Amino acid sequence: MKPLTLKLKQKITYRIDMSFLSDAYKYKSIKHFMSKKIIYGNQEFKVSQLFSVTGNQLNNIVIKSAIPLMDNIGCKQQGISMNVYGNIGYSFGKQMVSGSLVLHGNALDYAASGMKGGKIFIYGNAGDYFGAKPNAGNEGILDGFIYVKGNVGNDSFQRVRRGNIIIDGNIGNDACREMISGSILIKGSIGNSFGIDIKRGSIFIKDRKLTRDYTQSNDAEYNFIKFYLTQLKSIIKKKIFLEKKKLKRYYGNKDKNNLSEIFLFTA
Amino acid sequence: MIYKGIKIENTFAEAFNMKASRIIVTADNAKWAKHACDSFTGFATSVIACGVEAGIETELKRSETPDNRPGYSILVFSMSRSQLEKQLETRVGQCILTCPTTAVFSGMSGEDMIPLGKNLRYFGDGYQISKKILNKRFWRVPVMDGEFLCEESTARVPAIGGGNFLVLSKNRESCLKACEIAVNEIKNHPNIITPFPGGVVRSGSKVGSKYKALIASTNDAFCPTLKSITKSDLPKSVSCVMEIVINGLTSDDISAAICKSIKAISQSKIKKDIIAISAGNYGGKLGQHHFHLRKIMK
Repeated sequence: MKPLTLKLKQKITYRIDMSFLSDAYKYKSIKHFMSKKIIYGNQEFKVSQLFSVTGNQLNNIVIKSAIPLMDNIGCKQQGISMNVYGNIGYSFGKQMVSGSLVLHGNALDYAASGMKGGKIFIYGNAGDYFGAKPNAGNEGILDGFIYVKGNVGNDSFQRVRRGNIIIDGNIGNDACREMISGSILIKGSIGNSFGIDIKRGSIFIKDRKLTRDYTQSNDAEYNFIKFYLTQLKSIIKKKIFLEKKKLKRYYGNKDKNNLSEIFLFTA
Repeated sequence: MIYKGIKIENTFAEAFNMKASRIIVTADNAKWAKHACDSFTGFATSVIACGVEAGIETELKRSETPDNRPGYSILVFSMSRSQLEKQLETRVGQCILTCPTTAVFSGMSGEDMIPLGKNLRYFGDGYQISKKILNKRFWRVPVMDGEFLCEESTARVPAIGGGNFLVLSKNRESCLKACEIAVNEIKNHPNIITPFPGGVVRSGSKVGSKYKALIASTNDAFCPTLKSITKSDLPKSVSCVMEIVINGLTSDDISAAICKSIKAISQSKIKKDIIAISAGNYGGKLGQHHFHLRKIMK
Protein backbone atom coordinates (compact mmCIF):
# COMPACT_ATOMS: atom_id res chain seq x y z
CA MET A 1 0.00 0.00 0.00
CA LYS A 2 1.35 3.42 -0.95
CA PRO A 3 -0.07 6.81 -0.01
CA LEU A 4 -2.33 8.39 -2.58
CA THR A 5 -0.17 11.09 -4.11
CA LEU A 6 -1.59 13.97 -6.12
CA LYS A 7 0.26 16.45 -8.30
CA LEU A 8 -1.19 19.06 -10.62
CA LYS A 9 -0.80 18.10 -14.25
CA GLN A 10 -0.58 21.67 -15.50
CA LYS A 11 -0.51 25.27 -14.29
CA ILE A 12 -3.93 26.50 -13.19
CA THR A 13 -5.33 30.01 -13.18
CA TYR A 14 -8.56 29.66 -11.19
CA ARG A 15 -9.06 28.69 -7.56
CA ILE A 16 -9.75 25.04 -6.95
CA ASP A 17 -11.82 23.52 -4.14
CA MET A 18 -9.81 20.61 -2.74
CA SER A 19 -12.44 19.45 -0.25
CA PHE A 20 -13.15 16.44 -2.46
CA LEU A 21 -10.12 14.82 -0.82
CA SER A 22 -11.72 14.88 2.62
CA ASP A 23 -14.01 11.95 1.85
CA ALA A 24 -11.57 10.07 -0.40
CA TYR A 25 -11.67 7.08 1.95
CA LYS A 26 -15.33 6.55 1.06
CA TYR A 27 -14.50 5.54 -2.49
CA LYS A 28 -14.44 1.85 -3.24
CA SER A 29 -11.35 2.02 -5.42
CA ILE A 30 -8.81 4.37 -6.92
CA LYS A 31 -10.71 4.09 -10.20
CA HIS A 32 -13.84 5.49 -8.59
CA PHE A 33 -11.84 8.26 -6.98
CA MET A 34 -10.10 9.21 -10.21
CA SER A 35 -13.41 9.52 -12.02
CA LYS A 36 -14.90 11.85 -9.37
CA LYS A 37 -15.95 15.13 -10.93
CA ILE A 38 -14.74 18.41 -9.49
CA ILE A 39 -15.45 21.96 -10.51
CA TYR A 40 -12.66 24.05 -11.93
CA GLY A 41 -13.45 27.45 -13.37
CA ASN A 42 -16.95 27.06 -14.77
CA GLN A 43 -16.55 23.48 -15.92
CA GLU A 44 -16.53 19.99 -14.43
CA PHE A 45 -13.41 17.87 -14.67
CA LYS A 46 -12.51 14.41 -13.53
CA VAL A 47 -9.82 14.24 -10.82
CA SER A 48 -7.61 12.38 -13.26
CA GLN A 49 -7.85 15.23 -15.78
CA LEU A 50 -6.38 17.78 -13.38
CA PHE A 51 -4.08 15.67 -11.22
CA SER A 52 -1.62 12.91 -11.81
CA VAL A 53 -2.42 10.35 -9.13
CA THR A 54 -0.21 7.56 -7.85
CA GLY A 55 -0.53 5.20 -4.86
CA ASN A 56 -3.59 3.42 -3.54
CA GLN A 57 -4.08 4.32 0.14
CA LEU A 58 -7.26 6.34 0.18
CA ASN A 59 -6.90 7.37 3.82
CA ASN A 60 -3.29 8.49 3.51
CA ILE A 61 -2.91 11.35 1.05
CA VAL A 62 0.06 13.37 -0.13
CA ILE A 63 -0.27 16.58 -2.16
CA LYS A 64 2.92 17.54 -3.91
CA SER A 65 3.78 20.99 -5.25
CA ALA A 66 0.67 22.60 -3.78
CA ILE A 67 -0.12 26.19 -4.81
CA PRO A 68 -1.98 29.07 -3.12
CA LEU A 69 -4.93 28.57 -5.44
CA MET A 70 -5.83 25.35 -3.65
CA ASP A 71 -8.54 26.04 -1.07
CA ASN A 72 -10.32 23.88 1.50
CA ILE A 73 -7.64 21.21 1.80
CA GLY A 74 -8.72 18.91 4.65
CA CYS A 75 -12.01 20.76 5.03
CA LYS A 76 -14.38 18.69 7.23
CA GLN A 77 -12.04 15.72 6.88
CA GLN A 78 -12.49 12.62 8.99
CA GLY A 79 -9.99 9.88 9.73
CA ILE A 80 -7.57 10.82 6.96
CA SER A 81 -3.91 11.55 7.27
CA MET A 82 -2.76 14.18 4.77
CA ASN A 83 0.66 15.63 4.00
CA VAL A 84 0.84 18.76 1.87
CA TYR A 85 4.01 20.19 0.36
CA GLY A 86 4.00 23.82 -0.81
CA ASN A 87 2.09 27.01 -0.02
CA ILE A 88 -1.66 26.63 -0.07
CA GLY A 89 -4.86 28.68 -0.19
CA TYR A 90 -7.72 29.42 2.19
CA SER A 91 -9.51 27.31 4.79
CA PHE A 92 -6.92 24.61 5.36
CA GLY A 93 -8.43 22.07 7.77
CA LYS A 94 -11.59 24.13 8.18
CA GLN A 95 -14.10 22.31 10.44
CA MET A 96 -11.88 19.25 10.38
CA VAL A 97 -13.29 16.41 12.48
CA SER A 98 -10.47 13.89 12.94
CA GLY A 99 -7.23 12.59 11.46
CA SER A 100 -4.11 14.62 10.84
CA LEU A 101 -3.04 17.36 8.47
CA VAL A 102 0.59 18.26 7.95
CA LEU A 103 1.53 21.29 5.87
CA HIS A 104 5.10 21.91 4.79
CA GLY A 105 4.52 25.47 3.65
CA ASN A 106 2.36 28.51 4.35
CA ALA A 107 -1.43 28.69 4.58
CA LEU A 108 -3.71 31.61 3.73
CA ASP A 109 -6.62 32.82 5.88
CA TYR A 110 -9.21 30.79 7.78
CA ALA A 111 -6.96 27.77 8.30
CA ALA A 112 -8.26 25.52 11.11
CA SER A 113 -11.35 27.70 11.48
CA GLY A 114 -14.10 25.88 13.36
CA MET A 115 -11.88 22.82 13.76
CA LYS A 116 -13.69 20.05 15.65
CA GLY A 117 -10.92 17.53 16.28
CA GLY A 118 -7.78 15.89 14.94
CA LYS A 119 -4.31 17.34 14.58
CA ILE A 120 -2.91 20.08 12.37
CA PHE A 121 0.81 20.72 11.95
CA ILE A 122 1.92 23.73 9.92
CA TYR A 123 5.63 24.02 9.30
CA GLY A 124 5.33 27.55 7.94
CA ASN A 125 3.13 30.60 8.54
CA ALA A 126 -0.64 30.88 8.73
CA GLY A 127 -2.82 33.78 7.62
CA ASP A 128 -5.58 35.75 9.33
CA TYR A 129 -8.59 34.22 11.11
CA PHE A 130 -6.52 31.18 11.96
CA GLY A 131 -8.53 28.84 14.21
CA ALA A 132 -11.25 31.47 14.36
CA LYS A 133 -14.95 31.02 13.82
CA PRO A 134 -15.72 30.14 10.22
CA ASN A 135 -17.98 32.39 8.17
CA ALA A 136 -20.91 30.10 8.74
CA GLY A 137 -20.29 29.44 12.44
CA ASN A 138 -20.25 31.11 15.79
CA GLU A 139 -17.37 29.33 17.47
CA GLY A 140 -13.70 28.91 16.72
CA ILE A 141 -11.79 25.72 17.41
CA LEU A 142 -14.01 23.25 19.22
CA ASP A 143 -11.37 20.61 19.85
CA GLY A 144 -8.12 19.21 18.52
CA PHE A 145 -4.44 19.98 18.44
CA ILE A 146 -2.54 22.58 16.40
CA TYR A 147 1.15 23.24 15.98
CA VAL A 148 2.45 26.18 13.92
CA LYS A 149 6.14 26.61 13.43
CA GLY A 150 5.92 30.11 11.97
CA ASN A 151 3.76 33.17 12.54
CA VAL A 152 0.01 33.49 12.70
CA GLY A 153 -2.01 36.42 11.29
CA ASN A 154 -4.60 38.80 12.73
CA ASP A 155 -7.99 37.95 14.25
CA SER A 156 -6.89 34.43 15.07
CA PHE A 157 -8.47 32.10 17.64
CA GLN A 158 -11.66 34.09 18.00
CA ARG A 159 -14.21 32.33 20.19
CA VAL A 160 -12.03 29.26 20.67
CA ARG A 161 -13.87 26.76 22.84
CA ARG A 162 -11.41 23.93 23.32
CA GLY A 163 -8.16 22.56 21.95
CA ASN A 164 -4.43 22.77 22.46
CA ILE A 165 -2.42 25.12 20.31
CA ILE A 166 1.33 25.66 20.10
CA ILE A 167 2.75 28.56 18.11
CA ASP A 168 6.50 28.78 17.78
CA GLY A 169 6.33 32.19 16.06
CA ASN A 170 4.45 35.46 16.62
CA ILE A 171 0.74 36.13 16.58
CA GLY A 172 -1.03 39.14 15.00
CA ASN A 173 -3.53 41.71 16.29
CA ASP A 174 -6.93 40.98 17.86
CA ALA A 175 -6.10 37.37 18.64
CA CYS A 176 -8.12 35.27 21.11
CA ARG A 177 -11.03 37.72 21.13
CA GLU A 178 -13.96 36.31 23.15
CA MET A 179 -12.01 33.13 23.78
CA ILE A 180 -14.24 30.67 25.65
CA SER A 181 -11.67 28.09 26.70
CA GLY A 182 -8.73 26.05 25.45
CA SER A 183 -4.98 26.38 25.78
CA ILE A 184 -2.57 28.41 23.66
CA LEU A 185 1.21 28.40 23.97
CA ILE A 186 2.88 31.29 22.15
CA LYS A 187 6.64 31.44 21.91
CA GLY A 188 6.92 34.73 20.05
CA SER A 189 5.31 38.12 20.55
CA ILE A 190 1.65 39.05 20.47
CA GLY A 191 -0.06 41.85 18.55
CA ASN A 192 -2.38 44.54 19.87
CA SER A 193 -5.76 43.91 21.51
CA PHE A 194 -4.96 40.38 22.53
CA GLY A 195 -7.65 38.47 24.44
CA ILE A 196 -10.40 41.11 24.45
CA ASP A 197 -13.47 39.80 26.32
CA ILE A 198 -11.75 36.51 27.07
CA LYS A 199 -13.80 34.24 29.34
CA ARG A 200 -11.70 31.22 30.21
CA GLY A 201 -8.70 29.34 28.90
CA SER A 202 -4.98 29.07 29.53
CA ILE A 203 -2.45 31.21 27.72
CA PHE A 204 1.28 30.64 27.93
CA ILE A 205 3.05 33.77 26.89
CA LYS A 206 6.16 35.91 27.45
CA ASP A 207 4.54 39.34 26.91
CA ARG A 208 4.00 40.99 30.29
CA LYS A 209 1.60 43.64 28.96
CA LEU A 210 -1.17 41.09 28.84
CA THR A 211 -1.09 40.60 32.59
CA ARG A 212 -2.32 44.12 33.40
CA ASP A 213 -5.88 43.06 34.17
CA TYR A 214 -4.83 39.93 36.01
CA THR A 215 -3.68 39.22 39.52
CA GLN A 216 -0.68 37.07 40.16
CA SER A 217 -1.50 33.87 41.99
CA ASN A 218 1.06 32.15 44.14
CA ASP A 219 4.18 30.54 42.79
CA ALA A 220 3.02 27.08 43.75
CA GLU A 221 4.48 24.48 41.46
CA TYR A 222 1.60 22.96 39.57
CA ASN A 223 2.22 19.38 38.66
CA PHE A 224 -0.32 19.97 35.91
CA ILE A 225 2.18 22.02 33.90
CA LYS A 226 4.74 19.22 33.86
CA PHE A 227 2.09 16.73 32.94
CA TYR A 228 0.61 18.97 30.26
CA LEU A 229 3.94 19.64 28.61
CA THR A 230 4.75 15.93 28.63
CA GLN A 231 1.48 15.17 26.91
CA LEU A 232 2.04 17.86 24.27
CA LYS A 233 5.60 16.69 23.74
CA SER A 234 4.33 13.20 22.99
CA ILE A 235 2.06 14.65 20.31
CA ILE A 236 4.55 16.87 18.47
CA LYS A 237 7.40 14.47 19.14
CA LYS A 238 9.89 17.22 19.83
CA LYS A 239 10.83 19.55 22.66
CA ILE A 240 8.36 22.22 23.71
CA PHE A 241 9.85 25.70 24.07
CA LEU A 242 8.45 25.99 27.61
CA GLU A 243 10.43 23.11 29.01
CA LYS A 244 12.69 24.11 31.89
CA LYS A 245 11.25 27.66 31.84
CA LYS A 246 9.98 29.19 35.06
CA LEU A 247 6.35 30.14 34.88
CA LYS A 248 4.36 32.70 36.82
CA ARG A 249 0.63 32.26 36.93
CA TYR A 250 -1.84 35.13 36.62
CA TYR A 251 -5.51 34.66 37.13
CA GLY A 252 -8.41 36.69 35.73
CA ASN A 253 -11.01 38.62 37.62
CA LYS A 254 -14.30 36.86 38.34
CA ASP A 255 -16.20 40.13 38.57
CA LYS A 256 -15.14 40.97 35.06
CA ASN A 257 -16.36 37.57 33.93
CA ASN A 258 -12.80 36.59 33.15
CA LEU A 259 -11.67 33.26 34.56
CA SER A 260 -8.78 32.81 32.17
CA GLU A 261 -5.23 32.22 33.33
CA ILE A 262 -1.92 33.38 31.99
CA PHE A 263 1.32 31.55 32.49
CA LEU A 264 4.05 34.07 31.99
CA PHE A 265 7.50 32.82 31.10
CA THR A 266 10.72 34.72 30.70
CA ALA A 267 12.26 34.64 27.27
CA MET B 1 0.84 -34.85 43.39
CA ILE B 2 4.07 -33.85 45.12
CA TYR B 3 5.63 -30.63 43.79
CA LYS B 4 9.22 -30.22 44.93
CA GLY B 5 8.42 -31.85 48.25
CA ILE B 6 5.04 -30.20 48.82
CA LYS B 7 1.82 -32.09 48.47
CA ILE B 8 -0.63 -30.47 46.06
CA GLU B 9 -4.18 -31.57 46.80
CA ASN B 10 -6.37 -32.68 43.92
CA THR B 11 -8.74 -29.76 44.16
CA PHE B 12 -9.51 -26.41 42.60
CA ALA B 13 -10.08 -22.79 43.49
CA GLU B 14 -13.42 -21.40 42.50
CA ALA B 15 -13.50 -17.81 41.26
CA PHE B 16 -16.09 -15.38 40.00
CA ASN B 17 -16.68 -12.96 37.15
CA MET B 18 -16.07 -9.42 38.28
CA LYS B 19 -15.48 -6.00 36.77
CA ALA B 20 -12.22 -4.19 37.35
CA SER B 21 -10.58 -0.87 36.80
CA ARG B 22 -7.03 0.36 37.14
CA ILE B 23 -6.05 3.79 38.38
CA ILE B 24 -2.66 5.40 38.72
CA VAL B 25 -1.93 7.54 41.74
CA THR B 26 1.09 9.83 41.70
CA ALA B 27 2.54 12.32 44.16
CA ASP B 28 5.60 14.47 44.66
CA ASN B 29 7.32 11.47 46.21
CA ALA B 30 6.62 7.77 46.61
CA LYS B 31 5.89 8.18 50.32
CA TRP B 32 2.83 10.36 49.74
CA ALA B 33 1.64 8.32 46.81
CA LYS B 34 1.79 5.28 49.10
CA HIS B 35 -0.13 7.08 51.83
CA ALA B 36 -2.92 7.82 49.37
CA CYS B 37 -2.95 4.28 48.01
CA ASP B 38 -2.95 2.68 51.46
CA SER B 39 -5.87 4.82 52.39
CA PHE B 40 -7.71 4.09 49.14
CA THR B 41 -7.25 0.33 49.42
CA GLY B 42 -8.04 0.21 53.12
CA PHE B 43 -11.29 -1.59 53.94
CA ALA B 44 -11.43 -3.09 50.46
CA THR B 45 -10.80 -6.74 51.23
CA SER B 46 -14.02 -8.40 50.18
CA VAL B 47 -17.10 -7.38 48.23
CA ILE B 48 -19.17 -9.07 50.95
CA ALA B 49 -19.06 -5.95 53.08
CA CYS B 50 -16.62 -3.49 51.53
CA GLY B 51 -18.28 -2.89 48.19
CA VAL B 52 -15.07 -3.44 46.27
CA GLU B 53 -11.86 -5.41 46.52
CA ALA B 54 -8.82 -3.25 45.89
CA GLY B 55 -5.09 -3.43 46.21
CA ILE B 56 -1.86 -1.94 45.02
CA GLU B 57 -0.84 -3.69 41.83
CA THR B 58 2.64 -2.34 41.47
CA GLU B 59 4.93 0.55 42.22
CA LEU B 60 5.63 2.77 39.24
CA LYS B 61 8.79 4.64 38.36
CA ARG B 62 8.70 8.28 37.28
CA SER B 63 9.08 7.21 33.66
CA GLU B 64 6.02 4.97 33.90
CA THR B 65 3.51 7.54 35.14
CA PRO B 66 1.64 10.15 33.06
CA ASP B 67 3.06 13.12 34.98
CA ASN B 68 6.57 11.76 35.47
CA ARG B 69 6.22 11.55 39.23
CA PRO B 70 6.52 8.45 41.38
CA GLY B 71 3.32 6.53 41.84
CA TYR B 72 1.42 3.29 42.23
CA SER B 73 -1.17 1.51 40.18
CA ILE B 74 -4.24 0.24 41.95
CA LEU B 75 -6.69 -2.41 40.77
CA VAL B 76 -10.29 -2.17 41.95
CA PHE B 77 -12.69 -5.10 41.58
CA SER B 78 -16.43 -5.16 41.99
CA MET B 79 -19.40 -7.36 41.22
CA SER B 80 -21.45 -4.54 39.67
CA ARG B 81 -20.86 -1.42 37.64
CA SER B 82 -22.82 0.83 39.98
CA GLN B 83 -20.85 -0.33 43.00
CA LEU B 84 -17.56 0.13 41.17
CA GLU B 85 -18.51 3.65 40.12
CA LYS B 86 -19.72 4.59 43.58
CA GLN B 87 -16.74 3.18 45.43
CA LEU B 88 -14.24 4.63 43.00
CA GLU B 89 -15.70 8.09 43.36
CA THR B 90 -15.99 7.88 47.14
CA ARG B 91 -12.52 6.51 47.66
CA VAL B 92 -10.81 8.89 45.24
CA GLY B 93 -12.68 11.77 46.84
CA GLN B 94 -11.89 10.85 50.41
CA CYS B 95 -8.47 9.24 50.12
CA ILE B 96 -6.66 10.69 47.11
CA LEU B 97 -8.11 14.17 46.68
CA THR B 98 -7.41 14.77 50.36
CA CYS B 99 -3.82 13.54 50.29
CA PRO B 100 -1.18 16.25 49.65
CA THR B 101 0.43 16.55 46.21
CA THR B 102 -1.42 13.63 44.66
CA ALA B 103 -2.93 13.24 41.20
CA VAL B 104 -4.98 10.40 39.77
CA PHE B 105 -5.11 9.01 36.25
CA SER B 106 -6.78 6.19 34.43
CA GLY B 107 -4.55 3.15 34.18
CA MET B 108 -6.30 1.37 31.34
CA SER B 109 -8.11 2.12 28.14
CA GLY B 110 -11.27 0.60 26.76
CA GLU B 111 -14.69 1.36 25.41
CA ASP B 112 -16.59 0.95 28.64
CA MET B 113 -15.77 4.08 30.62
CA ILE B 114 -16.74 4.95 34.18
CA PRO B 115 -16.32 8.27 35.99
CA LEU B 116 -13.11 8.93 37.88
CA GLY B 117 -12.87 12.68 38.43
CA LYS B 118 -16.02 13.53 36.52
CA ASN B 119 -18.09 14.35 39.58
CA LEU B 120 -15.24 15.15 41.94
CA ARG B 121 -14.58 18.26 39.91
CA TYR B 122 -17.53 19.95 41.57
CA PHE B 123 -15.41 20.18 44.69
CA GLY B 124 -13.77 23.05 42.81
CA ASP B 125 -16.95 25.10 43.30
CA GLY B 126 -16.84 26.54 39.82
CA TYR B 127 -13.10 27.26 39.85
CA GLN B 128 -12.22 23.85 38.42
CA ILE B 129 -10.53 23.94 35.03
CA SER B 130 -10.94 21.33 32.34
CA LYS B 131 -8.21 20.39 29.91
CA LYS B 132 -8.92 18.08 27.04
CA ILE B 133 -5.85 16.60 25.43
CA LEU B 134 -6.80 14.66 22.31
CA ASN B 135 -9.48 12.28 23.51
CA LYS B 136 -8.85 12.48 27.23
CA ARG B 137 -10.27 15.07 29.56
CA PHE B 138 -8.55 16.10 32.76
CA TRP B 139 -9.76 18.26 35.62
CA ARG B 140 -7.71 20.68 37.65
CA VAL B 141 -9.42 21.20 40.96
CA PRO B 142 -8.04 24.02 43.12
CA VAL B 143 -7.00 22.77 46.56
CA MET B 144 -4.96 24.27 49.37
CA ASP B 145 -1.60 22.90 48.19
CA GLY B 146 -2.16 23.97 44.58
CA GLU B 147 -4.20 21.80 42.29
CA PHE B 148 -5.59 18.29 42.31
CA LEU B 149 -5.23 16.86 38.83
CA CYS B 150 -7.50 14.00 37.88
CA GLU B 151 -8.55 12.28 34.71
CA GLU B 152 -12.26 12.47 34.00
CA SER B 153 -12.90 8.77 33.48
CA THR B 154 -11.28 5.38 33.50
CA ALA B 155 -12.04 2.14 31.74
CA ARG B 156 -13.85 -0.84 33.17
CA VAL B 157 -12.89 -4.33 32.01
CA PRO B 158 -14.07 -7.88 32.75
CA ALA B 159 -11.99 -9.55 35.45
CA ILE B 160 -11.91 -12.47 37.87
CA GLY B 161 -12.05 -12.37 41.62
CA GLY B 162 -11.54 -15.07 44.22
CA GLY B 163 -8.68 -17.12 42.85
CA ASN B 164 -7.04 -18.71 45.88
CA PHE B 165 -4.97 -21.39 47.49
CA LEU B 166 -4.65 -22.64 51.04
CA VAL B 167 -1.43 -23.30 52.88
CA LEU B 168 -1.79 -26.20 55.32
CA SER B 169 0.95 -26.19 57.88
CA LYS B 170 2.20 -27.88 61.02
CA ASN B 171 2.17 -24.62 62.97
CA ARG B 172 1.08 -21.00 62.72
CA GLU B 173 4.55 -19.51 62.52
CA SER B 174 5.59 -21.51 59.49
CA CYS B 175 2.20 -21.08 57.85
CA LEU B 176 2.44 -17.30 58.09
CA LYS B 177 6.05 -17.35 56.94
CA ALA B 178 5.14 -19.43 53.88
CA CYS B 179 2.30 -17.06 53.03
CA GLU B 180 4.58 -14.06 53.38
CA ILE B 181 7.04 -15.65 50.97
CA ALA B 182 4.23 -16.34 48.50
CA VAL B 183 2.76 -12.85 48.69
CA ASN B 184 6.16 -11.25 48.41
CA GLU B 185 6.82 -13.26 45.26
CA ILE B 186 3.74 -11.87 43.49
CA LYS B 187 3.89 -8.39 45.00
CA ASN B 188 4.63 -6.60 41.74
CA HIS B 189 3.09 -9.18 39.43
CA PRO B 190 1.12 -7.28 36.76
CA ASN B 191 -2.67 -7.51 36.53
CA ILE B 192 -3.24 -9.11 39.94
CA ILE B 193 -3.81 -8.03 43.51
CA THR B 194 -4.07 -9.80 46.84
CA PRO B 195 -6.78 -7.68 48.49
CA PHE B 196 -6.57 -8.97 52.07
CA PRO B 197 -4.32 -7.51 54.79
CA GLY B 198 -0.77 -8.42 53.86
CA GLY B 199 -2.29 -10.58 51.13
CA VAL B 200 -3.24 -13.32 53.59
CA VAL B 201 -6.62 -14.48 54.93
CA ARG B 202 -7.09 -16.50 58.08
CA SER B 203 -10.87 -16.48 58.06
CA GLY B 204 -11.71 -18.49 54.98
CA SER B 205 -15.47 -18.68 54.57
CA LYS B 206 -18.14 -21.01 53.31
CA VAL B 207 -21.46 -19.95 51.85
CA GLY B 208 -24.31 -19.68 54.38
CA SER B 209 -24.56 -20.09 58.10
CA LYS B 210 -26.79 -21.62 60.72
CA TYR B 211 -27.75 -18.00 61.45
CA LYS B 212 -30.19 -16.85 58.79
CA ALA B 213 -28.91 -13.29 58.66
CA LEU B 214 -25.42 -14.32 57.57
CA ILE B 215 -24.54 -15.07 53.95
CA ALA B 216 -21.11 -16.44 54.83
CA SER B 217 -19.57 -18.08 57.85
CA THR B 218 -16.34 -19.76 58.93
CA ASN B 219 -15.04 -22.52 56.72
CA ASP B 220 -15.29 -25.21 59.42
CA ALA B 221 -13.87 -27.91 57.15
CA PHE B 222 -10.51 -26.10 57.28
CA CYS B 223 -10.58 -24.96 60.92
CA PRO B 224 -7.99 -26.99 62.85
CA THR B 225 -9.79 -26.45 66.15
CA LEU B 226 -12.96 -28.06 64.79
CA LYS B 227 -11.26 -31.15 63.39
CA SER B 228 -12.79 -33.46 65.96
CA ILE B 229 -16.36 -32.23 65.76
CA THR B 230 -16.95 -31.37 62.07
CA LYS B 231 -16.42 -33.09 58.76
CA SER B 232 -12.88 -31.83 58.46
CA ASP B 233 -10.80 -31.78 55.29
CA LEU B 234 -7.59 -31.45 57.26
CA PRO B 235 -4.97 -34.14 57.86
CA LYS B 236 -4.16 -34.82 61.51
CA SER B 237 -0.81 -33.05 61.46
CA VAL B 238 -2.25 -29.74 60.29
CA SER B 239 -2.68 -27.17 62.97
CA CYS B 240 -2.88 -23.97 60.94
CA VAL B 241 -4.39 -22.98 57.58
CA MET B 242 -4.09 -19.67 55.79
CA GLU B 243 -5.43 -18.58 52.45
CA ILE B 244 -4.07 -16.32 49.76
CA VAL B 245 -6.80 -14.75 47.67
CA ILE B 246 -5.83 -13.48 44.23
CA ASN B 247 -7.93 -11.26 41.97
CA GLY B 248 -6.77 -10.78 38.42
CA LEU B 249 -7.72 -9.36 35.08
CA THR B 250 -7.56 -12.75 33.33
CA SER B 251 -7.48 -16.39 34.36
CA ASP B 252 -3.95 -16.67 32.97
CA ASP B 253 -2.79 -13.91 35.31
CA ILE B 254 -4.28 -15.71 38.32
CA SER B 255 -2.90 -19.10 37.28
CA ALA B 256 0.55 -17.60 36.80
CA ALA B 257 0.38 -15.93 40.22
CA ILE B 258 -0.73 -19.14 41.97
CA CYS B 259 2.05 -21.07 40.26
CA LYS B 260 4.67 -18.47 41.14
CA SER B 261 3.56 -18.37 44.77
CA ILE B 262 3.61 -22.13 45.29
CA LYS B 263 6.97 -22.36 43.55
CA ALA B 264 8.36 -19.72 45.93
CA ILE B 265 7.14 -21.70 48.96
CA SER B 266 8.61 -24.90 47.56
CA GLN B 267 11.99 -23.22 47.15
CA SER B 268 12.09 -21.92 50.71
CA LYS B 269 13.36 -23.66 53.83
CA ILE B 270 9.93 -23.40 55.38
CA LYS B 271 8.54 -26.09 53.09
CA LYS B 272 9.47 -28.78 55.60
CA ASP B 273 6.62 -27.59 57.80
CA ILE B 274 4.08 -27.35 55.00
CA ILE B 275 1.80 -30.39 54.91
CA ALA B 276 -0.08 -29.54 51.73
CA ILE B 277 -1.40 -26.85 49.41
CA SER B 278 -5.15 -26.91 48.90
CA ALA B 279 -7.76 -24.52 47.52
CA GLY B 280 -11.14 -23.12 48.46
CA ASN B 281 -14.25 -23.86 46.43
CA TYR B 282 -17.99 -24.14 46.77
CA GLY B 283 -18.40 -27.44 45.00
CA GLY B 284 -17.86 -25.83 41.62
CA LYS B 285 -21.44 -24.65 41.26
CA LEU B 286 -21.12 -20.97 42.12
CA GLY B 287 -18.02 -19.68 40.40
CA GLN B 288 -17.52 -19.43 36.66
CA HIS B 289 -13.76 -20.04 36.87
CA HIS B 290 -11.99 -23.10 38.29
CA PHE B 291 -8.28 -23.09 38.96
CA HIS B 292 -7.15 -26.71 39.30
CA LEU B 293 -3.99 -26.70 41.39
CA ARG B 294 -2.44 -29.80 39.87
CA LYS B 295 -3.04 -28.52 36.34
CA ILE B 296 -1.41 -25.24 37.23
CA MET B 297 1.61 -26.85 38.87
CA LYS B 298 2.23 -29.38 36.09
